[in-house]
Amino acid sequence: MATDALRAQVASKWQESFTRLNQNEPGLVGLLNFSQAWNIARECVRPRSLEEPDALTQYEKPTFQASFELLNKCRRLPILLETFLEDMRKRFPVIKAEMDQYTLDYQRTSDTIHILNLVLRLLQWYQKWIPRPELGATLQSAFVLSFQTHIFSSLSPTFVRGFKELCASTLPPVDSDTILPEPNPKMWEAFEILGLLDRYENIIASVAYEHIETYVLTTCAGHWSESMLVHLRKWMADKIVPWMMLMYGRTVTTTNDAQSMLQNVGSRFDFHMAKTLCDLRTQEIFDIIIDFPDSTGALQDLRDCLHRVDQRAALVHALRKANQKRLLHPGADTRLILTQYVATIKCLRIIDPPGVLLFKVADPIRRYLRERPDTIRCIVSNLVGDEDSGDSLVDESEPIQPLQQSELEEYTDPNWEPEPVDAGPDFRANKPSDVISTLISIYDSKDLFVKELQVLLAQRLLAITDDNSEKVEKERRNIEILKIRFGEAALQVCEVMLKDMTDSKRINGHIQSHKESVIHPTIISKHFWPILEAGEISMPGQFQTFQDEYAKEFSAFKPDKKLRWLPHMGTVHLELQLEDRAIEADVPPLEAAFIELFSEQDVWTMDQLITKTGLSVDRKAALKALLTWVDLGAIKEVSEHTFKLLEVAEASTAGRELRAATTSVVELPSALSIQQQQAEQMKLYWKFIEGMLTNLGSLPIDRIQSMLRLAQGYDQTVEQLGAFMEAARSEGLVITRDGMWRLNPK
Amino acid sequence: MKVIIKRWHAVAQWRWDTGVSSDDGDEEGDVCGICRVPFEGCCPSCKVPGDDCPLIWGECTHVFHMHCLLRWIGTAASNQQCPMDRRPWVTAERKVKNLVPGAGAAAPSAS
Repeated sequence: MATDALRAQVASKWQESFTRLNQNEPGLVGLLNFSQAWNIARECVRPRSLEEPDALTQYEKPTFQASFELLNKCRRLPILLETFLEDMRKRFPVIKAEMDQYTLDYQRTSDTIHILNLVLRLLQWYQKWIPRPELGATLQSAFVLSFQTHIFSSLSPTFVRGFKELCASTLPPVDSDTILPEPNPKMWEAFEILGLLDRYENIIASVAYEHIETYVLTTCAGHWSESMLVHLRKWMADKIVPWMMLMYGRTVTTTNDAQSMLQNVGSRFDFHMAKTLCDLRTQEIFDIIIDFPDSTGALQDLRDCLHRVDQRAALVHALRKANQKRLLHPGADTRLILTQYVATIKCLRIIDPPGVLLFKVADPIRRYLRERPDTIRCIVSNLVGDEDSGDSLVDESEPIQPLQQSELEEYTDPNWEPEPVDAGPDFRANKPSDVISTLISIYDSKDLFVKELQVLLAQRLLAITDDNSEKVEKERRNIEILKIRFGEAALQVCEVMLKDMTDSKRINGHIQSHKESVIHPTIISKHFWPILEAGEISMPGQFQTFQDEYAKEFSAFKPDKKLRWLPHMGTVHLELQLEDRAIEADVPPLEAAFIELFSEQDVWTMDQLITKTGLSVDRKAALKALLTWVDLGAIKEVSEHTFKLLEVAEASTAGRELRAATTSVVELPSALSIQQQQAEQMKLYWKFIEGMLTNLGSLPIDRIQSMLRLAQGYDQTVEQLGAFMEAARSEGLVITRDGMWRLNPK
Repeated sequence: MKVIIKRWHAVAQWRWDTGVSSDDGDEEGDVCGICRVPFEGCCPSCKVPGDDCPLIWGECTHVFHMHCLLRWIGTAASNQQCPMDRRPWVTAERKVKNLVPGAGAAAPSAS
């Protein structure tokens, strides 16, 4: 049905194509030539099986070059390409079958060699099929693209897993002593050619990351003594960089390129290493602090890592959590908490000199310590260097400086720097102050410390039994040092205490030279010592005589003064001469008084003894005193609370004679602790309060407080008064209603 | 049995012997009528009690820290009178037992 026009069109097209193919040759010669060239060209680029010989062996180079030129002239090359790709698609199932076989082998044996073989096999195919470079870039790139597409579409997830393992196996093993596995450049080349590198770059990188992680964890966990960062960087340079060069650096030719490549990729790996190390150290931070100062290396690492990786918040969080869990609970000793706190201060100062981290971490610790009743005592006993309290919190080498008050920022200081960015709103830019200042700043005032210091000093001074001026000197040195911290005025009282010690010694020397006595008293100035535990014993027999004689000598020496004994304090070194043995012992005065009474009479009941020594003796203390002698084998309990002197040692106690010279535990003369002292003081004011409430009915606490202020020496805060009133209420002395206090009508 | 005391480390407090026999146990002790600080403490201008801050006795039986009284006497308003009873101040000789001279004389020899 075709019209003439159409016919003419087809005819002209045909004619045109024909001329193109025929190349203006006479007759069909051109066409024949073309057909020959086509065949040659197709044969050249045909995807062959591996056994077939290469195209080159079939045809001379000029032959197929000529063929291609001819095809090009006829503009038939695109068709050739299409045909070629189509052929490839048809042949590909052969390769796919092989790939599946290798993958299956790998799946069965988990041996990466199969994956490697697979890759190498693919490379063989690739090389067999790739069109000759003389045929032009278009053909080649079209082939590469298509070939890769085929491969990737037929690779299973199993292959990816295998590939990852294969990559991992090329890395230097973690236990670094063994040498690198022989680098296999051929493999990497194959990866590169097949386009696996580009496609699986993520996987390769993750292999490296995981490897770095494992290495960091195995080599660094628990190794805190030295800085690992240097070692790690060296390891990276020695082991990882060469590996990276295999992969990324194959195309690199100049050193400049290599450097920029390493800067780019290498810094990513370096970052990862730093982060891993940082995470590890963050996890370990609590134990690192415990180990300080043996863990300085780890701290330096952490500091360097934190510069690189922003993990400060994580560190604070981890440490706070660890502290909460492991430190700030009732099971932990206050000393321990303090030690750890001090270590934390020192450690975090290394990590973060401005102190932001420390501020954030320390806050809960400080709050917790404030709640503990014995914190002050612990700190103070450390200040004076108690021998039995283990290692000192205070670093001897630290320069002693006055306590620092938090001061306003000096904005005119040319070296002023703003607070670090992550500082909280209540962050105080305290200059790196010394440990003691920090500890004392837990509390608002230092008065508490000074008071506790007095108490402690009193205990220690009174415990010095002989004229051991060396010990006194030591205390004096301590006080001198503390004066620098607390200021001269605050420690004036301690000064007087020390002076009492030396004065006592001098007075004693004088009196002894006059008239020898067994008593060597410490004479104290009443108002300058902490309130000493009350407890009156009237010393019996010869003790009384000695006391009186000594007091008389003292008054003769200092005519306008007299002595008042505190008989419950001190120690007595005495010897009991019994019929068959002698017992020597160092005992507190109460024990001495009791045994003296036994020298008058063989059998005593405990109540009798207490009556004899002045009634104020606590039964518990009395029993303890008696048991000391029972232990020493001097007396025995014949019936309940009745004791008998053993003039002759009993058989059962024979073994104990060996212990005759044992010193019974002499307790430190107990000075009242601060709380007890306060309670004691408040008792004094109870009379006032009682009077007030009797006269005025009911009063609010503020009123009571303001009236008490009129009383001399009253220095309690309204809170303390409140606590006291509360205590009085629980004893049923007062009642409270709507904030008004009144006496409990009995 | 015989108890032999080899050595006794005792503790005692010293008190001023103000003449008032104050053996009544835990009395708070008298205070200086001028500074209201106990005699066994020290006057406001001293730091160390005892021989360094002695007492002074008047014929009128009143007792003060020596430093307190001397400062009082030094003021024009005092008229050289005892601040307690306004009688002319006369320092008393201590007449304790062996009649040692005044307290001021004993103190320096001791310290």
